[in-house]
This record gives sequence, C-alpha cells and structure tokens, in this order.
Amino acid sequence: MSRRSTFNRVAPNRVALAALAALSIIAAPAGAEPATRTAPDDGDPAAESSEQYLINAGRVIVRPGEVLENVRILVRGGSIAALGRDVEAPEGIEEISGAVVCAGFIDPWSALGVDAGSLRDQRTEPATRTADAIDVHGQRHLRREALRAGVVAARVQAGGLARVGGVGAVVRLNPDLSAAEALVLPDAVLAMSVGLSRGGGAMDVFDRQGEVDRVRGALDSGLAYRQNEVEYRYDLEEWEKAMAEKEADLEKDFKKAKKDRDKGLAKAEEDDKEFKEKKYKEDKKPRKPSFDSNKAALARAAHGELPLVVQVHRAAELRELLKATAGVDRLRLVLAGATEAESVAETLVERRVSVLVAPSLARSDARDEWAGADLGLAGRLEQAGVEVLLGSGGETPDLTRDLPLLAASAVGHGLEREAAFEALTIGAARSLDVADQLGTVEVGKSADILVLDGAPLLGTTSVQYVFSAGRLVVTPQN
Amino acid sequence: MLILSLALASLAPASKPLAPVSEVFAIRAEQLHLADGTVLENGLVLVDGDTIAAVGSGVSVPAGAALVEHAGHLTTGLIALGEHAGGSGELRDSTRTVLAGGRLAHAFAPGHSQLEALLAEGITSLVLAPSAGSLSAGCTAVVKSAGDTVVSERAQLHIGLSSASLLSNRRPTSYSGALRDLEALLSSAHGDFGAAARGELPVLIEARSRHEVQRAVAFVAEHKLRGAISGAPLAGELAADIAAAGLSVISDPRSPGASQRSIDALLSLAEAGVPFGFKLASPARHANTLRMGVALCVRRGLSPATALRSLTVDAARIAGVDERIGALATGRDADLVLWSGHPTDLTSSVKAVLIDGQLVYGEL
Repeated sequence: MSRRSTFNRVAPNRVALAALAALSIIAAPAGAEPATRTAPDDGDPAAESSEQYLINAGRVIVRPGEVLENVRILVRGGSIAALGRDVEAPEGIEEISGAVVCAGFIDPWSALGVDAGSLRDQRTEPATRTADAIDVHGQRHLRREALRAGVVAARVQAGGLARVGGVGAVVRLNPDLSAAEALVLPDAVLAMSVGLSRGGGAMDVFDRQGEVDRVRGALDSGLAYRQNEVEYRYDLEEWEKAMAEKEADLEKDFKKAKKDRDKGLAKAEEDDKEFKEKKYKEDKKPRKPSFDSNKAALARAAHGELPLVVQVHRAAELRELLKATAGVDRLRLVLAGATEAESVAETLVERRVSVLVAPSLARSDARDEWAGADLGLAGRLEQAGVEVLLGSGGETPDLTRDLPLLAASAVGHGLEREAAFEALTIGAARSLDVADQLGTVEVGKSADILVLDGAPLLGTTSVQYVFSAGRLVVTPQN
Repeated sequence: MLILSLALASLAPASKPLAPVSEVFAIRAEQLHLADGTVLENGLVLVDGDTIAAVGSGVSVPAGAALVEHAGHLTTGLIALGEHAGGSGELRDSTRTVLAGGRLAHAFAPGHSQLEALLAEGITSLVLAPSAGSLSAGCTAVVKSAGDTVVSERAQLHIGLSSASLLSNRRPTSYSGALRDLEALLSSAHGDFGAAARGELPVLIEARSRHEVQRAVAFVAEHKLRGAISGAPLAGELAADIAAAGLSVISDPRSPGASQRSIDALLSLAEAGVPFGFKLASPARHANTLRMGVALCVRRGLSPATALRSLTVDAARIAGVDERIGALATGRDADLVLWSGHPTDLTSSVKAVLIDGQLVYGEL
C-alpha cells in the first residue's frame, strides 16, 4: 500500500519526463544534422508508380557539364532504376528513344498550384504552410501546358507579396498525382519581402528601411526562441539527474520511510485525523518554453535549416538587408527579384547569397520596385560571379509554362546557356533542398525527366516525352 | 513640319547621293536568310551606300570594298507593327471621331531613347499606329529605329471597327452608325478614303471580338478594300474567311503567359496562308516581346521560316512597304541584323545592326 503510494508519487514524474524527452527530441535543434525530408504523413502514402519504361538516349545530360552518350535509362517504381550502356530491357517493357535526356525544369518561384486567395494573402505568418493551400486539381490545363514545356516541379508560395509569406513548398505539376505524391517537399523555404508596393502605391524610404529591420527582428526572435529551447534542454537534463539521485536516496531509505509512514498512518487513524503525506523537497523543475510555431519557423530559417527567400529590389534595401543579416551566420539567404542586385554583387559573391531572377517583359504595368528590371540582369550577375536562379515571379500561374522561354531570353541577353540550364535544374533543386530527388539524371533519383529532340533551351528543340515521378505524362501524341 | 520635310526627302529615291567607293562593303554570313525562307550557307550581301547592291552565294566583292565575315545568321531588320516608341501623346486624338488626312508620321521622334531599345532586339523599322478610340485616325507611318528615315508617311488608312471606337458621348455610338459613317467617307472618293476605296491604299481595320472580325471581313469584301485586321487575338479561328477576303492579320503582342488558344489561332492563320505580323506596343512592352511572340508560336509547331517572315517580309507587305524593306534583296534598304543564331531562337543575340547601310548598334 505504502509502496504503491510512493510509487504513485514518482510515477507521474517518470511519465512526464518520458513525454518531455520525446518532446525535446522533436524540438531538438536540427542544425547539426540536415533536416529530414519525408513525404507528409497527412495523406495517402505516395503510391509507387507501377509504370516502367526503358529510354534509349543518344545523349544524357546527367548534370550541367556531365554528358553520357548512347545510354539506356530504366525508369521503374517512380525512380531512375538503372542508367548505363548495358541496361537490360525487361520483358515487354515499353521502349522510348530520344536524342537528349535531361532533368525536368523546376520553377523556384511559381504561382501555379496554389489557389489565388492564398497567393494574394497578406496576413500570412512565418508558420503559414503553403503546403496546406495546394490545390491539386486546380488549373489542370496550365499544369499540362507547363509539363509540355518541360517544367515538372515548382516552388509555390502563399503570401507572395506579404512581408512574411511563410513556408513555401516544392510540388510536382503533374495534375494526375495525389497531394501526397505531388508534394516533393512541404517545407522548402521561408519567404519574406521588403519594400514592395503591394498594390498600395510605392512605400517611402523609411518604411522600406523599417521592413529591413523587421526581417532582422524576426530572425532574432527565432534565434532567441531556439536559444531558450536549448537552454531548457540542458536545464531539464540537470533536473532529471537531480531527480534520479533523489529517487535513489529514497529507495535506500525506503524501509525507514515506510515505517515512519505506517506509524503516522496508524496515529492519524487513532486520532481520527487525516493523514498528511510527507512533502519531499525537490529542485524546481525547469519550465518548458511555450511552443510558438512562428518563432519555430523563424528559428529554422535563422539556423539555415530552411533557406530564407526575401523578395527585395532596390539598391538601398539590398544593401541594408545584407548588412542587417551579416551576423546571422547560418542563414541561407536567397534574394528574389533583386532588380538592382548588381550594386551589391561583391557582397553576394562573398557571402554566397544566390539571386532568384524573374526575367520579365512587362513594362508599363510593372510596379515601382520593378522599374529598371531588364533581361540582362541574370547575365550580368552571373558574370560578376553570383549564383543565379531563374523563376517566373510567383504572381501569374501562366508564366510557369513559359519559364524556359524567359530563360532563353536571359541567355539571349548575356546569361551563359549552361548557367541557365543549371538554374532550371540542379541549381533550383539544390537551393530548395530537393536535390536528393530532383535536378539531375542519376540512379536513385525520382524520374522527373525530359526527352528532347535537341539541346535544351534551344528554339528549335521540342519536348518529346516528360516523366513525372516515373509516370509518362507527355508524349509527342498527347 | 520638319519631320514631314525629312520624310519627303528620304522618300524620293532620286535624292540619294551617289555612294563613294568607301561606302561599298560586304558582309558574308554563315547563314543568310532570304525573303522566301531559303537560307544561303556563306551567303554574301553587298551594300552600296544605303542600299543592298547584291545578295547571293557567288557575289564578288569589288576591289577596295571591305568584307565583314560573320559567324552567325544574317537577316534583314525586323519590323514592329503597331508601335508607340517615342510617340506618346501624339498617337491619339481623343476629340475627333475622324481625323481626315491625319498622319501618324507627326509622332515620329528621331533619336528618341525609346527607339534605341528597339535596335538591341534587331528591330529596324516600326509602324506608328494610333491608339484605339477613333473611327479613323488617319494614316499610319513606317519609320526607321535609327536616323530620321520615314519609309512611308501614308502606309495604311486606320479604321476603327471595334467597340473601342464607339463612345457614348459622341457619334457613332453603334456598329451600324460606324459603318454608315465609314461608307459615307469611302463613297466620297476624296483623300485617303478615296485611295483606300480604289485599292491604292491598304487599310488597317481594328477589330477585337469574333463578331467584329466577321463584320470587318464583310465590310472589306463589300467595298473591295485590301489590308489587315488588327487586334483580334482569336482572328485565326476565322482564318478561312480572312483568307477568302484576301486580308492579313496584325497580331497584338504575345507575351509570356499568352493563352495557348491565341497562339494556336496564329498557327491556324499560317496554315490558311494568311500573312500576319506582330504589334509591339513598346515602351509598354519590352522590345524582346516581338521575338517572344514568334517563339511561342514556334514552340507550338510554327516553322521558324514562317515565323521569321512574320517579322520581316510579311510585316513589310502588311504595311505596304515591301518594295523598300523586309527582305535581303537587291535594291532594298540596307537594313541588316547580324545574329549569333537563328533570330526566332530567343537564346540568339543581336551582334550588330545596320540601318540604311550605317552601323547603328553593336560592332562589326
């Protein structure tokens, strides 16, 4: 009886400790290890495609600068199962031939696949997940057109014009996939913006600088949150140790304690009084910091677990933003739009900040911050040594289809052809943390690949076949 | 007035001074594009002053003439139809329904900075056309992007048959009113309308929606006009009717994101043999939009040769100036563009541009 009572007294703490330990694993800073990338469990598990194909390729662009000639590619179970000269053709497999095979294009700044309301939402928060706003069945014809143009995946972003857009996702554009299959990575980047007119006319310079300060403030709050979390873990560990010691002492003195307790119990019964259990003095248990999803998301960005994509255009804000984020060592900053990025090119190279350029032909309807945007920006930044990515701008879903043409125009205005190809494939995949699945033609990667009749991005080249997660979605006949 | 006198001066071929020997030079290119779509390997263009003296594979270069070797493509300059560069307010008279004798050449601003942007895209000629709103704003003008050459100050007679020409506060307010007014003008046999009625002057008929295109086709057939329909994105869906009326089509600029349907409509025009060209509407659009338009079509299956014709010889015919520009041929203006690759491929860039034999962009 008394033993059980003692046990009962300790047991809840044990349970609580176990629960806390579990929590601390979940909330543990993942800075040391790469963030785990798995399909979300809030849907059907991604069903592997049962389709299989053998591609006879004249040339395979494995990655920019690495080309194999006359090889066969086995596509099975959604992935590239084998690649080489001697790949055996399984009995009855459908064979496809093509001049050039390369990775499917990725639009790292797209509006295709998210409903318009989420796209224009200006009240998004750091923890807002675009993955929750993905409309798998919407805009079917635009997705099909994008696939035909060779664009197989895109980073979609809610709150594209908001100061904080939240966590963007990478999705496959194939309209026949379920949400779980379409999602390549539900938490790919954290998006913010600085100095956008957002339909309300141009902002004055002080407001814009204020927005730069907000970015730094947000990152700081993320850093502080993570710091608190880490401190809590250590404190908890110490407390646990103290508790264990105390428990051991208790065990040692158990017999005496039991006798004392029994005596007390009997006396209380005699006196017809209520028995009072002895209070044990224990160290004050550390208080678990309250969970804050926004600060948690900011912490992930501040620690480089999620790239931070900031849309910012003017030279002054670019300069100030780079200054303000200089001390956040693990930050992986990507500047989007970056109309006047040439003015800070040296710093960008030094700090390995990449620039996501949206080549645009719009003029009169371009907002103030885009004034001065031209097709030559990508080429000039690349010349200066900055890593350049190319995107369709994240506002108009129709533009994702034409990203390869816009990239071609950027090449016509000074960007190296190979740099443009890299930007649309492995460059985008790497910066969005999906290079384990997309971006190159390698065994084990997801089969999101193109079969072309000529070199990629060339005007005379047409897309013959497109594979999305191992499914053949575009053929010359459809 | 100054503009007009310049225009007249450049219109008169007799006023060309005899070119001194140093003005004779030749360019040999790996790929030389002729108007009929054929491509000459290592073809040569001989320029004498502001004119092309000879084109071919076997053309000999006269002694003392410079020869430029170009490792790329050589075409005539591109032509932007419906262009506003440098024109701004001059392109619209919002108070008059009909501006009889109107000349868009007055809107030409030689040397305007907006014209320079055209050169970087290989556009050497542009058709200054009015903004929509009038029943007729007079005649469009064809001018060069550099220098002060006016190729034609009376290129096409503008006719507005779209809803944009119908206002509630002045006549005409209806399609039937518009047709009545236009018929009255055509039957008067005076001025530009008289010339159009006699088939001497092509018309540029603005129409947007399907029924407006049908109305325009019927109007042209009834009055035996010739010319082009402008501004109907889906005109190609009536390609057979347009072909039967002998009309051409001036397409709005086709930017990235253009609907597949509107691109397929252009392909239908090509299939039906209807010549078409593209408006640019710079500076509202980047000058690259001209080539983007054909690149969108080429991706859907238009042949690059037809695509190039829409930017050169077909555009010149639509503007009625194919005697002067739009082709690499003997006697035509020496408007040349040296490209790194095929001009309808967007990855190609402009290496050099010559207008009237003068280097105006890049280097040789």
